Amino acid sequence: MRKEAEEQERYSRQIRFAPIGAQGQRRLGEASVLVVGAGALGASLAQHMVRAGVGRLRLVDRDYVELSNLHRQTLYDEEDAAEALPKAVAAAAKLRRVSDRARIEAFVADVDRRNAESLAADVDLVLDGTDNTATRLLLSDVCFGRGIPLVYGGVAGSEGMTALLVPGEHCCLRCLLGADEPGGDGAPTCDTLGVISPAVEMVAALQAAEALKALTGNRSALRGTWLTVDAWHFAVKEWKLPPPVEACPNCGWGESAAAASRELAKHEGFVHAEDDLSGEDHGDTADEDLSGDEPESEAEDALSGDDSEAETENTLSSDDSEAEKLVVLCGRDTFQLMLKPSVSLGEWRRRLAEAGCAITADNRYLLRASTVEGERIVIFAEGRALIQGAGEAERALDIYRHYLSDETRRRADEPSVGF
Amino acid sequence: MSRPLDFKLYVITGENYHPGRSMAEVMEAALRGGADIVQLRDKESPKRELIEKAKRLKELTAKYGVPLIVNDHPDVALAADADGVHLGQDDLPIEAARELLGPRRIIGISTHRIEQARAAERAGADYIGVGPVYPTGTKPGRQAVTTAYVAQAAAEIRIPFVAIGGITESNAEEVLRAGARRLCAVSAIVGYADPESVCRNLLEKINAWSLGEQAVVPASLPISVAQTLPERRDVREIALTVNGRSERTQAATLLELAAQYKLEGRSVVADLDGAVVPRQLWGETPLQGGCSVEFVHFVGGG
Repeated sequence: MRKEAEEQERYSRQIRFAPIGAQGQRRLGEASVLVVGAGALGASLAQHMVRAGVGRLRLVDRDYVELSNLHRQTLYDEEDAAEALPKAVAAAAKLRRVSDRARIEAFVADVDRRNAESLAADVDLVLDGTDNTATRLLLSDVCFGRGIPLVYGGVAGSEGMTALLVPGEHCCLRCLLGADEPGGDGAPTCDTLGVISPAVEMVAALQAAEALKALTGNRSALRGTWLTVDAWHFAVKEWKLPPPVEACPNCGWGESAAAASRELAKHEGFVHAEDDLSGEDHGDTADEDLSGDEPESEAEDALSGDDSEAETENTLSSDDSEAEKLVVLCGRDTFQLMLKPSVSLGEWRRRLAEAGCAITADNRYLLRASTVEGERIVIFAEGRALIQGAGEAERALDIYRHYLSDETRRRADEPSVGF
Repeated sequence: MSRPLDFKLYVITGENYHPGRSMAEVMEAALRGGADIVQLRDKESPKRELIEKAKRLKELTAKYGVPLIVNDHPDVALAADADGVHLGQDDLPIEAARELLGPRRIIGISTHRIEQARAAERAGADYIGVGPVYPTGTKPGRQAVTTAYVAQAAAEIRIPFVAIGGITESNAEEVLRAGARRLCAVSAIVGYADPESVCRNLLEKINAWSLGEQAVVPASLPISVAQTLPERRDVREIALTVNGRSERTQAATLLELAAQYKLEGRSVVADLDGAVVPRQLWGETPLQGGCSVEFVHFVGGG
């Protein structure tokens, strides 16, 4: 009873907002959302969702906090940067202090074909806080396959754009951009244009507003438009979103679209388990969820433990081209690659120190080292590495070969021969 | 000037951007890549040294049939027999420089707002620089003028104008989209290991936009010129608005229009009269006279 009163008090101003009301607030409490990326957009989106009172927030990010993030990534502070905490971890810690109402699941991982399905498996809505076109197209495929609304958002310079894409109602992102887009081909990013914080917050606010409408059952209030905004030369434009493209395997009249319309028919406000909404028991279930720390979701199973390692190795062994492994990350001079084989952080620490690197950060999630030449190597516990400050891909590959490849280890293990 | 000045890719020297490589080596690479006008900019060297550098560069540019412009100093330009001089807003006035250099040498001037551009045109400049479009290390502390000024210059200025300042391969499209048809870069060319290929890539982008324009018959084209164009009476041409600008096109579909703007293979969202058109449907989406099209580059950051 006391809990209920607290709940009432906590969300009183939001409940007083007529379109949400008590029922909308309850729906938010039942809702599960996935926020992909915990950079500028993602961290802001996660905060909006947790403060608004969503029942479960799943947050996944592949990066760690750096000083250059702080001008726009409002959830992080200097301490996070000094500790080089993974963004997902730092965000989860902050968000748990903001509210103990939400169950927060944080994953340090790069979203790819192997884990995207399980990450989105049991959520009502996906919020896009990614920094690249390829991941966005992947999210679109997964969301349209599963009938989950996707709130796209992107920002660069002082400009941003956003749209809530509803499977069965709108066409998918792939249809909007062209099915065979390689992704990231010249689409402006924070890397090329820089970015200012107000532009990020405008887009995140618009994304969050659509998410709140969707999650509280205010479907008729959804904009249904593709919106662009410029925070500097103030301008807002919007265009109506097109319906599904019949021929498209993702948003067209195939399997997925049928699944999507089934979903929609079932949940007026996109929130699953609507049957439970009226049930008194549901509050208890939610409480149990909050207290339970055991991995329940498919996503946690897929991302933790031995399974994921085995999967990682499988994928890597089929991927022989070094160049293909390199991915350029947004906002900084950063390359990403997967290491083989999986080695513990402690072992990496030993190897890099032996190779003459200075260890500049060392926590349970990652290891950061500075090469003799001054570039930075970051290794995450899951076997993913970032190479920063290399300038060109060629140099990044050199660093990989010199410090991170199997050859390095063999050389290091060989008895040294005097010259 | 015996023939009207024109160029596409303006390259400026920046020795501090390529330590370990000589100016001649770097500039020759840029010329091989298609740079068609070169400026010697050196704020450090004493004049005697500058003249020597200018003479060496002149030899090189002459080999490629490309004009050499000297930054700031008409006297150095004359001494080295360079083709012209480039002035800043605080340097010698254009009229004074013209008196020194005579009618045949090129005079260009940097402008940072439309009033300066108009004044330069009136004073008889052969071209103007428009920038810095983006913040740049070459001119630290100078406020970037953004592509808005590029668009203004494109709409109003009749003498050649070259967009300059922080322009790189990755933002060149944006500058061209704003209406520039000549680009200038310093660090993005001479600061790279391979200036030749950077130049080639930039030129390719410039050409793509220039070609896209040639496909459209401008409404203002004088009749005598229009008559020399191939007969196209059977081809329908419509007036429309593309990204806020009045245009005419013979494109019958959204796909053809996108092709004219060289948007194939780019992450672009197309909007026609208030609604987004899925990419697959561009080919079957006809364009009506008076319609309004917006091509919006997909924003990738987050």
